[in-house]
Amino acid sequence: MTFSSFAAPFAPEIVLLAGTLLIFALDVLKVRRIEITGGIAVAATLAGIALVVADLGFAPLAFLATIPAAQIDALPAAGAAPLYAVTSLGLVFQAIFLLAAFFVALGSTSRPSDERGASIFFGLLLLATLGMLLVAIASDLIFLLLAIEVTSIASYLMVAYTRTDARGVEAAMKFFIIGALSTVLSFFGASLLFGAYGTTNLYLIRAAGTAVGYPTLVLLGYGFLFAGLAFKVTLVPFHAWAVDVYDGAPHDVSAFLAGGTKKMGIFAFFLVFLGPVLAVDAVGQSGYGLFGGSLALGPSFQLALGVIAVLTMSVGNALALLQKEMKRMLAYSSISQAGYMMIGITIGSAPALGGATLQVLAHALMKTGAFLVVSAVAALGVGPLIEDYRGLGTRRPLLGAAFALMLLSLAGVPLTIGFVSKFVLFSAAVRAQGWFLWLAVAGLLNSAISVFYYARVLKAMYFDPSPVPDPALAGAVVGGAGPPALPVGGLGYGRAAAIALIAGLIVLFGIDPQLVLGPIQAAAYHFVAAGA
Amino acid sequence: MLPLISIVLATLALGTVGTFAAGTRARWVALGTSALFLAEVGLLFAGFTGWPGYSGTLVPGFSYTETHPWISLAWMHIDYAVGVDGISLIFVLLTAILQIATVVYSWGETQRPAGYFGLVMLTCLGCVGVFVALDILLFFLFWELVLVPMFFLIGYWGGPNRRYAALKFFIYTHVASIVMLVGLLALVFYSGATSFDFASVYAAARGLAPVVQTFLFLALFFGFAVKFPIVPFHTWLPDAHVEAPTGGSVLLAGLLLKLGGYGLIRWAVEVLPSGLHSVQPLLFLIAFLSIFWGSVLSLAQRDLKRLVAYSSINHMGIVLLAIALDSSLGLLAAVLLMFAHGVVSGLLFMASGSVHHQYGTRDIASLGGITPGAPALSTMIMAGGLASLGLPALIGFPAEFTAFLATWNGLGYWVLIPLSVLVVTAAFYLWMMQRMLFGETKGGPPDAHGLPWYESAGMGLLVALTVLFGVLPSLLVNVIVNSPIKGWPGT
Repeated sequence: MTFSSFAAPFAPEIVLLAGTLLIFALDVLKVRRIEITGGIAVAATLAGIALVVADLGFAPLAFLATIPAAQIDALPAAGAAPLYAVTSLGLVFQAIFLLAAFFVALGSTSRPSDERGASIFFGLLLLATLGMLLVAIASDLIFLLLAIEVTSIASYLMVAYTRTDARGVEAAMKFFIIGALSTVLSFFGASLLFGAYGTTNLYLIRAAGTAVGYPTLVLLGYGFLFAGLAFKVTLVPFHAWAVDVYDGAPHDVSAFLAGGTKKMGIFAFFLVFLGPVLAVDAVGQSGYGLFGGSLALGPSFQLALGVIAVLTMSVGNALALLQKEMKRMLAYSSISQAGYMMIGITIGSAPALGGATLQVLAHALMKTGAFLVVSAVAALGVGPLIEDYRGLGTRRPLLGAAFALMLLSLAGVPLTIGFVSKFVLFSAAVRAQGWFLWLAVAGLLNSAISVFYYARVLKAMYFDPSPVPDPALAGAVVGGAGPPALPVGGLGYGRAAAIALIAGLIVLFGIDPQLVLGPIQAAAYHFVAAGA
Repeated sequence: MLPLISIVLATLALGTVGTFAAGTRARWVALGTSALFLAEVGLLFAGFTGWPGYSGTLVPGFSYTETHPWISLAWMHIDYAVGVDGISLIFVLLTAILQIATVVYSWGETQRPAGYFGLVMLTCLGCVGVFVALDILLFFLFWELVLVPMFFLIGYWGGPNRRYAALKFFIYTHVASIVMLVGLLALVFYSGATSFDFASVYAAARGLAPVVQTFLFLALFFGFAVKFPIVPFHTWLPDAHVEAPTGGSVLLAGLLLKLGGYGLIRWAVEVLPSGLHSVQPLLFLIAFLSIFWGSVLSLAQRDLKRLVAYSSINHMGIVLLAIALDSSLGLLAAVLLMFAHGVVSGLLFMASGSVHHQYGTRDIASLGGITPGAPALSTMIMAGGLASLGLPALIGFPAEFTAFLATWNGLGYWVLIPLSVLVVTAAFYLWMMQRMLFGETKGGPPDAHGLPWYESAGMGLLVALTVLFGVLPSLLVNVIVNSPIKGWPGT
């Protein structure tokens, strides 16, 4: 194996690694200007997106493709135990991760340039993204869990990088402790699987499951793995940490945690519980059991997953209703959105998986965008409460409109990607028939409830009178005291560009969903067919 | 042939964007868009066989159809599919009429006119989309699109309690839409239709078992009933109406309520005949309740606008009754009634808005004898009230007459229930007119400037149409019957 054939699947990872090392090296050399470090991060993520999209078969970028098409979605030779395998669904997830990282990097270039540790932030951002990219190509449990660790450790540091904010440090500690617990649970689960089957390779585990069956040891192992991963995805009852962490972290980091790293857990779920372990009819008329037809416990495991999905969306929604702070509301809504994604995993058919993936993309755009807006609004001097946003829509029409668009998309209003993703997901559930129909009903009722708290923000922004004097105006116009006003009405070029781009994509994919839905559905079919 | 329907939708979409961007000149852009839209609707009628008179060569299905693939997956085919039959065409006409009347009436709007007129355009775009969509997703998309501008119209330009009303409106109708969406999705996937297209769903749904049809019908009915609105899902309506600005009320009563009736006819009654058949008794019960309760509540109102709002519930009850009869005459009556109600309630809401502008109150008891001071306004109120209570030669009469005839054919003596309620309806309108328009002058002199020309023009247009279609209802009937409805000449 030559170096180039070994390195080919890792092209985007190599770019990110180079970016990380460059930023850290520059930091040692005391080159910490945010334009440079931020620029490197933006360029690296953008290059990564181009490489991944080229590998997915996007014709205009075909010259960048590094992986031979035959290697994508190829099953390993019988008995082989590869550490990684490139699937088209994994590439789709890589693109989503990179997209979230790109927007966060772009938005963060508008952070105060004298901020302590800002350059380290960009390095950690790339490092965390690198770990996520590795998750997306894992085909071995140890490889997978180590990749998750790379991301986790980088993100613990990101939460606390400012080091001046006590809330941030507290959040980082909580995040770290819970993260360590989650790691322990996952590795323990993996070790039980290894004990039962003598391998950690996901393909071999699947083959052994079909041949040997599922002894209690394996079920325990899956249980522990489930708990470990559920922490990452913030499923109820493993969700409580998320709100404090998202709330206490710097705004741009919250954007990355909610819009980016959480999705890594979703793909890990796909790999461990669906991917190579699953036998599904490629058309996926209905759910075929998480462990194929051979496991007697399959349907009841599926039922348990379904219950957790419904619990997650309902609890997240109910608590979001009660929040007075914008970030906490967004954090709880993020928990409920994880519940929607779990619907896809519960059903396990290709349409449902595609729907869940689209939901991941939608949520990455919407939540990253929403937290970036929160970040921008906070930079204008507006407080953290929902009622502090009063009058924002009329005083800052463009920023308000972008935020309104993101909230409407989160609520699932048509002509936005948030509608399309829910539509596809719930269609897949209705189509699967049986009790899956009730997943769709629960999801739809929950999205109806969620409208209430999103509409409340819209009400504050547009219908309620502005507080006097209006901090949203003062930040941009006065500018005398405090830091000098940034361009684009106090937002800064990077943040304004990131928010505008996200808003544009939300509408573009809402009007012409085939752009993303086509590749995603094809990838989902390959993914389940590879397991069959 | 020109893709006329796409041109109509594009006109409205570009008009919406243009209006939002036009700043203080927004009303001119809005007026231009509305006029162009009306002209295009004229073209639609000109090319539609059967207009203006019964010609014998009828349209066997949908006209002006266009189909373009939109979302195409292995398990889901969604098209951009549009087209009109007689029923949709009548509602498109109603949209065009009410849009231009609203724009003219609201000419003096000074509070953020670009936003106001832009949202009016967007509401109309959504309504036209619902009326022409022949694909389930497209239908639902426009259906939901209507909510957003109306939410902002009520919440920003509305009365003192507008924020509560806007939220209530949004949540009620959104929850209903969501139940409807489950019904629509189940309709596609349980029937095994190959795509979301109307024709394929229509064909596939014939094979569904009656029990399944019943459940699907109920899910769809719930979604449409809230929009209608039908007792007991009506409570959002008075709040939304009373708080909405006049233009918003006109669109709300004139168009949004029609979405429910149209949706019921197009996607439930036509597609799920066994479903309709098995829930017919329930529908009759709900219809009678709505007719009765809407009337009684109207009688108790002191606020002119609230009175008109509650009378809508009564009228929509008659529409539901006519639809539930499951007869060709009943459906014709339902469409006529909805058209008539659209024009007349638009007129009445404008009139109550003008009363508010002139006298600073809409409280019927504190107004009186306004005829000498404001003869034009008084005439408009009279025309609206008389048309609403069903005076012959005005638009309400042919519609109600057809409805009661169909009820007699279908239910026999049960027709006495809605007929006796009609007496109450007549009573509350006459009583309102007697107290407000005649007698001793109360409530102070009207606003010194008198009724502005644009408010008179907006109402005048609707009065003229009330008379025109009241005298010549065949203008409407000959178009409506060109529809693929069982038992109609259009099939």
